[in-house]
Amino acid sequence: MKKPWLVVTVTGVAALTTLALAGSRYGGAPPSPPAPVVAQPIAFSHSTHAGQFRIDCQYCHFSAERSVAAGIPPVSSCMGCHAVIQGRNAPEEVRKLREHWQRGEAVSWVQVYKVADHVRFPHMRHVAAHAGNLDCRVCHGAVEEMEVIQKVAQPLSMGWCVSCHRDEGASDGCSVCHY
Amino acid sequence: MADGIERRDFLRVMGAGGAGAAMFGCSDQRVQKLLPYVIPDEEITPGVATWYASVCHECPAGCGTWVRTREGRVVRVEGNSHHPLSGGALCSRGYSSVQGLYNPDRLKEPQVRDGGEFRSISWEEGEALLARRLRKGENHLFLTGRLGLAMRNLADDFLAAVGGNRVEHETLSEAPLREATRIAFGRPFLPTFDFAHARVVYSFGADFLETWLSPVEYQRGFARMARVDAHGSKGKMVFLAPRLSLTGQNSDEWVPLRPGSEALVALAMAHVIVGSSGGDAGPYERVLESYDPEYAAEASGVSAGDIESLALQFLRDAPSLAVGPGVAGHHRNATAANLAVHILNAVTGNVGRTVRLRHVDQGAPARPFGEMRSAISVMDRTDVVMVHETNPAYSLPPAAGFREAFAAAGFRVSFATTMDETTHLCDLVLPDRHALESWGDSNPRPGLWAIQQPAMQPVPHFKARQTGDVLLSVAARVGRDLGSPTFFDYLQRQWRGIRVAAAPGEDFDSFWLETLRKGYVELPRPVREESLPLRSPDTALSFEAPSLDGDGDFVLVVYPSSRFGDGKQANRPWLQELPDPVSKVTWHSWVEMNPRAADRLGLRDGDLVRVRSPYGQVELPTWRYPGIREDTVAVAMGGGHQEYGRFAGGRGVNPMRLLPAEVEQPSGTLVKLATRVVLEPTGGRRGLATTQGSPRQYGRPIAPAVGLAALMPHERGVGATAGVEVGRGQEERARPQAFPQEGGRFDQYDQETNPRWAMAIDLDRCTGCSICITACQSENNVPWVGEEQVVMGRAMHWMRMERYYETVDASSAGPLDIRFLPMLCQHCGNAPCEPVCPVYAAHHTPEGLNAQVYNRCVGTRYCANNCPYKVRVLNWYDFGDVAEPLNWAFNPDVTVRGGGVMEKCSFCVQRIRDVQNRARLESQRPVEDGEVVPACLQSCPAEAIVFGNLRDPHSRVAQVIQDQRSYRVLDVLLDTQPAVTYLKKVTFHEVDSG
Repeated sequence: MKKPWLVVTVTGVAALTTLALAGSRYGGAPPSPPAPVVAQPIAFSHSTHAGQFRIDCQYCHFSAERSVAAGIPPVSSCMGCHAVIQGRNAPEEVRKLREHWQRGEAVSWVQVYKVADHVRFPHMRHVAAHAGNLDCRVCHGAVEEMEVIQKVAQPLSMGWCVSCHRDEGASDGCSVCHY
Repeated sequence: MADGIERRDFLRVMGAGGAGAAMFGCSDQRVQKLLPYVIPDEEITPGVATWYASVCHECPAGCGTWVRTREGRVVRVEGNSHHPLSGGALCSRGYSSVQGLYNPDRLKEPQVRDGGEFRSISWEEGEALLARRLRKGENHLFLTGRLGLAMRNLADDFLAAVGGNRVEHETLSEAPLREATRIAFGRPFLPTFDFAHARVVYSFGADFLETWLSPVEYQRGFARMARVDAHGSKGKMVFLAPRLSLTGQNSDEWVPLRPGSEALVALAMAHVIVGSSGGDAGPYERVLESYDPEYAAEASGVSAGDIESLALQFLRDAPSLAVGPGVAGHHRNATAANLAVHILNAVTGNVGRTVRLRHVDQGAPARPFGEMRSAISVMDRTDVVMVHETNPAYSLPPAAGFREAFAAAGFRVSFATTMDETTHLCDLVLPDRHALESWGDSNPRPGLWAIQQPAMQPVPHFKARQTGDVLLSVAARVGRDLGSPTFFDYLQRQWRGIRVAAAPGEDFDSFWLETLRKGYVELPRPVREESLPLRSPDTALSFEAPSLDGDGDFVLVVYPSSRFGDGKQANRPWLQELPDPVSKVTWHSWVEMNPRAADRLGLRDGDLVRVRSPYGQVELPTWRYPGIREDTVAVAMGGGHQEYGRFAGGRGVNPMRLLPAEVEQPSGTLVKLATRVVLEPTGGRRGLATTQGSPRQYGRPIAPAVGLAALMPHERGVGATAGVEVGRGQEERARPQAFPQEGGRFDQYDQETNPRWAMAIDLDRCTGCSICITACQSENNVPWVGEEQVVMGRAMHWMRMERYYETVDASSAGPLDIRFLPMLCQHCGNAPCEPVCPVYAAHHTPEGLNAQVYNRCVGTRYCANNCPYKVRVLNWYDFGDVAEPLNWAFNPDVTVRGGGVMEKCSFCVQRIRDVQNRARLESQRPVEDGEVVPACLQSCPAEAIVFGNLRDPHSRVAQVIQDQRSYRVLDVLLDTQPAVTYLKKVTFHEVDSG
């Protein structure tokens, strides 16, 4: 009995194997897809805040040193300054922020950096002085130069994580991140 | 790989080719929103758990809890480790309270009966309607369960304002014990018991490990009593009852006396003790003279010689303790039976030592069912009947006529969280908040008060209001302001009084905040306990065995379920799927029958049988159980709900339907051991949804034991044997701390810096209570699968409580020796599951953990087939997809696994990581021994589990496994090198096989 599907599969696997042999090695960063520039509900400029005014990342992302989550600033944090600062560069955007504050409504930011659901990424183990003491830019890029936050060269892939873990002597056991 | 292609590259290219899309790595391209707070809560850090101290509301024991919240949501309840009762543990019912909070069958809003149907109304309408009906009449009735201090006072204030009486209905009331204590010592309350300091415990059917009074506290005490101490002696428990409950299964000797003959045996023992030691029986001296062992032997079926030697042992091994009978033994002379046990304790000198008689206000009615019966008789002349935290339409025998009387009442109102049987009969439903969203308090012990504080904002799916607030608001509407705008205010006013007693020097605000933080406040205990003499009885009592109704061949024992109590917790899937600690049956009811009796009727496991009493009949599958007398059958309470939600409705049967509605006269409790039953096989069958495979070990060394006499005397006791050469050479080779084995598959790992996580479980302390299973399920998002899947062997518990019957002699006909073995992933150093996984999902970590990488798993099940311990479970059908809002109970630190993925115990790796992260943040300190606490260890009231790093020779686990009792399951046969070491059970009889 002929099995045409078997022939097709075998050919396919052979072709893919050839492709894979030519492909990049495990551990190297694979080419990233072009990062889409996402529109945020308020055109918050990281370059103005982190670049021009040199506000520390953790002034707004308040829990990065003590929690798995870096923390998205509450509206009240923004209003701490913008209650008095009109925002010369973008008064329209500050007005939107104030409206949120008046309505008592959270700003629904679009998530840009996300690891998969089965990955546990503890910020504090990477950021805090006693732990990783990494510069935020290692993973997030030169945020202080970005008008709109976007994912840059980092693929957030496992190979990318593991290569750094190996270089830094951190554990590369599966259950460090997957549980 | 040799040819230069990595598995990972291959898969990636396969994926790209197959899908035709450029998907790389693990990034997820779906658009997701990040919603920050508008104003942050000071107590909340995203990603960090906030804990609140509170008190468990599932039973009257009042264990202190710590409620774990994440981002403002309750995700787990644990025992408060500083609390004098819970000591860090909790029972399965307590752990499952989050499933009560997030139960999808909770009432969504107020409802009113409109014709035959319920119609949703607003709170304004609901309260106005109740106020109107209350104003119209002045003869109201408030049926409640056992309430907290403040709520009880408020209910009484409310009734004083609107007119009426309150009746407490509690099926599991220990009123006979209370009444016996009043008769014996003039103290009308429940005594407390010191199990830990007793050397021998006689339980006359008190199930103190499961349901009796304060099971978590008593289990801890019992485990401390029963362990082998430094002198090589071990406390002993004798169980005197017709059926072995879980408590009975943990006894060292079972005396299967005839149902109802406890009083005679206890008095005969007291008779022997008085004759032998001259113990003081006070006013009962004359009574005791007539109850000699010969007389008791005739009535109980226990030989006079046995009674005599039991009595002498009870006297010799002082301090001793006798307890019971409990709810399952509440027969027509139950008060007398409890009095007889008090007399036995008194003549032995136990009162004031192991039996404590300090006052405690548990607020229970003097005559629980007696009052209820009177209320039923006048219900047709009652204007408004209100029901709160009790469900008499379910929990009373139909013969009590509650449903008929309730239907004749003027207006019926229910303050319930869920549509239960009684609420279903009501005209107005005003949904109550769950205890985890409510204020409250409790006073479970003299000098011990606890505040129940809400741990989260109310679950938004339900427009519920706390009943205390509703009562205050309704009282104001009828023009009787009770002086507090909210129940919180009322509670604080009550606590001003407690502050005066508990902290005289402190101002109220700091006292209140400190109590909230700690969860409880306790007065210092008196150094000496009071010993009271026996008083002359003021009530006529009969110690004789009670009469039983009907003429069947079997006595019916109805006992409270360790999972559902009297049925209150039945609508929780964790508990429905928790194998009953005795029968291992899930999701439905069964009737327990001795195999010899079953053989006479031709009944196999699962054969349906009609159980008929003079009061009703039910149909149940048979479960053959050698731990019950041949003339007795037993059925657990808690099944057979008609309403109460999707997980409980229509499951099992309610044995209360077989009982008469009779009051035990002195105490006023409902008689539960009252009738004989006829068994009629129906010819039908129903597969038992059981999780126990074989009931016997068949000579396999799974749960071995060692006789007390065979323990080497200088090495008795845990951890006393460090450095001593142990066991056979084979075992020596496979010592878990030797991981990674030289030349083994894991020798590339650094030995020095990595921990080797390991566990030790002392089977001499484990009671098989199965609390760890629920604790694990709650911590690790372990799904439930439903009855049909359990029958197919697909239950997904990461822990399994195996139970094996052995016999004390080789003939296999002698008395039972029941062994328990908590079975979880053994994290083998030479794991059979790992080499067979085609995708490296079963993977060994440098820390000695056998990790399961979910996102790699493709569900071949090779690993489960190759696992000799059968601890790997496959998720067949996306069992993690649960009804909203039950998903709110998921632990956010653990992945919710999808369908087609194999999973198993991870040694609570998320807790290991949490501790490591914290240790690292705090000045890079190392993880301390005992700091990592897996959920099972945390929940164990018997303190049977130890966890830690084996590479640290000073760690407790490294010390404990040096014990001469240590062994590893199947290691001798398979060389699996498990990281879990068990310590053999110690028996009083000799064990030949080891």
